[in-house]
Amino acid sequence: MCLAVPHRIEEILDSKRAIAAAGPLRVEVRTDLIDDLNVGDIVLVHAGFAIEKCEEEDGQELEELWEEVLRLAGKRDA
Amino acid sequence: MFVELKHGSGGRPTQQLIGEILSIYGDNSIKDLEDCALIEGGLGVTIDGFTVSPRFFPGGDIGKLAVCGSTNDLAVRGVKPMYLAMSILIEEGLPKEELIKVVKSAYGVSKELDVKLVAGDTKVLPRGQADGMYITCCALGKAVTGRPWGINNLSSGDILLITGPIGKHGALISALHYGLDVDQLASDCAPLWPLMQPLTEVAGVKCARDCTRGGLGTVLCEWAEGAGIGIEIEEDLIPLDPEVASVADVLGFDVLHLACEGTAVIAVAPDCAEYVLSSLRVLAPNCTAIGKVTEDHPGIVGLKTEIGGIRVMDMLAGEMVPRIC
Amino acid sequence: MLKDKIKLLCDALNNLADEPLTFMEVCGTHTVAIYRSGLRSLLPKNVSLVSGPGCPVCVTDQGEVDAAIQLANKGDLIFATYGDMLRVPGTKGSLQDLRARGADVRVVKSCDEALNLALKNPTKEVAFLGVGFETTAPSTAAVILEAAEREVENFSVLCFHKLVPPALRLLAGSKELKVDGFILPGHVSVVLGVAPYMFLPRDFKVACAIAGFEALDIMEGIVELARQVRYRDFKVSLLYARAVKPEGNPLAQKLVRRVFDEADARWRGLGEIKKSGLRLKAEFSRFDAAAKFDLRIEEVPLPSGCKCGEVLMGKITPQQCPLFAKRCNPDDPVGPCMVSSEGSCAACYKYSHKVM
Repeated sequence: MCLAVPHRIEEILDSKRAIAAAGPLRVEVRTDLIDDLNVGDIVLVHAGFAIEKCEEEDGQELEELWEEVLRLAGKRDA
Repeated sequence: MFVELKHGSGGRPTQQLIGEILSIYGDNSIKDLEDCALIEGGLGVTIDGFTVSPRFFPGGDIGKLAVCGSTNDLAVRGVKPMYLAMSILIEEGLPKEELIKVVKSAYGVSKELDVKLVAGDTKVLPRGQADGMYITCCALGKAVTGRPWGINNLSSGDILLITGPIGKHGALISALHYGLDVDQLASDCAPLWPLMQPLTEVAGVKCARDCTRGGLGTVLCEWAEGAGIGIEIEEDLIPLDPEVASVADVLGFDVLHLACEGTAVIAVAPDCAEYVLSSLRVLAPNCTAIGKVTEDHPGIVGLKTEIGGIRVMDMLAGEMVPRIC
Repeated sequence: MLKDKIKLLCDALNNLADEPLTFMEVCGTHTVAIYRSGLRSLLPKNVSLVSGPGCPVCVTDQGEVDAAIQLANKGDLIFATYGDMLRVPGTKGSLQDLRARGADVRVVKSCDEALNLALKNPTKEVAFLGVGFETTAPSTAAVILEAAEREVENFSVLCFHKLVPPALRLLAGSKELKVDGFILPGHVSVVLGVAPYMFLPRDFKVACAIAGFEALDIMEGIVELARQVRYRDFKVSLLYARAVKPEGNPLAQKLVRRVFDEADARWRGLGEIKKSGLRLKAEFSRFDAAAKFDLRIEEVPLPSGCKCGEVLMGKITPQQCPLFAKRCNPDDPVGPCMVSSEGSCAACYKYSHKVM
């Protein structure tokens, strides 16, 4: 129910607004929902609002899932 | 019942509206639903209306679009564009220099194609009764292919080629319309005859279409349904610029339904595909094969996705509007 | 590389799914992503996906749509809406039909744009149609707070925001619905975090995975669900840690609590669900369009023959609705599942109803 696209923060305009880029597109986004925003942060933008900062890491549960997936693949190939 | 914006989007609702109009003419009308009609005397003729807003955009303007759009409809049927008849509707108050600029753009393409303007008409409407300027352009030319290009030639095994990245014009206009900053985006508005002319001597060229309203997806669906053949396309092979992908992502649009204005899809017999590709690549380096005609699933376009799955492609249904969902 | 990863996941799924499994994706954006990616064609025969009521457009009740249309029809008013709602049919046509007849209906990409319309047009009322789930409600809340701060008098919101966990509770508790696991909505979870879903594995012994929206993310979600069922390890697995923190977005949650109260809400096709909607707090009633313009939200039954309710609950597939692709299609939709681009029926029609 929610299209949200990662954008990179390019310029902070004030406490509520920033310029963000999705690839070569630049848009003004509202930043009311994020604390401590910095230029260079990657944020998810939904309906013109940044709703969260994005992380690089996949998280533990995803890593554990892949361990299981590879274990099953290894068993098959054995 | 009212005519709605969806009837102008180029997908199924447009087809339905056109069907109703043609049914009134009955036998005295267009028999095959190609973009250009082949008529007695070895001639081809087409007509197209241009209402683009904004009138000036990166990569062109309404004048360039009018001549490219109409002559491209001839070019993709193997008809050499020769003559134009142009009607310009102007809203009272339009700056004269804008009109001149637009006509100069139109002339620029006409000169490039050696096409003569032989008839024209202008009307001025009171302020508020038109959005600046509309152009209707009728293009006429000489059919120069041995066998006319058309969907009836399509047969299983034919290779489908695209002459360049898709959706550039549609992405640009949508971005301008919805207030997205468009620095690196430009329309692909360009004449196709220089690309198509060398192909008119190649016997294995079956059919071609410029992917305007409704985009590549709509054209392929029209081919599949119109000719009763199946089509298979590979998503990975379709050239796409990152700017176009970004616009589509942000607005929630499908790139396969975004209009092109200088990009054609061409069906060729398998044994001449390599030759045609290398010939096209001289002027269109991004030209590439994207799929083929198949005897499986007649009437349906199947898309092999980037993850190796398969899904059905459908034509545009209604106006594209930005989504949040 | 991507195809290799997908292949590994498919193999793992074939291995783990040793009985018939039915998983429900709740989020309409997941529905579209699943169709568009062709993922279904790669699943083993014994794993099936059903779509749930995760399309805020689809679940906007007919009475709510009619109220929106009634408001948009007022003269001297600018009615701002997300594009998704433009074509939803009410009892007497859609917002798009109204626009065609001259009503000032404007598509906006953000509630912020609607407030700007109000600031630029001080002599006109601007009403904004607030639909969407927890992902979207915080932005409406932020704009209402700004409108209050700036003492804007010509702006209001017709608030039909709804909440996902109560609907999940209804689905999980339904005896007619046999679902082994839920692919939970990635972006709603960005706001909510993990805790609001914990009742699902705990009380209903269903598998749950919060997944992102790329084909790879969704496939990972499906494999995780199969893994949970196979090992009877029911939990809420957070697979979208790139964007979802376990606690969600506390600031967004706070803004929503500041501006809205929970209220009972009617979901199209599902009926009333307690405390599943948001309404403006009394303090902000001057921004409540329903109050400002004295709108009555009627109880309106679905059009005759329309089975959107059963589709939304995952009880039938779109193809099993007698109207599907015949009387009801994207150009001429009867119910909201066909209108919304991410409605189950629209997605099915567009991407797979013609059988290959």
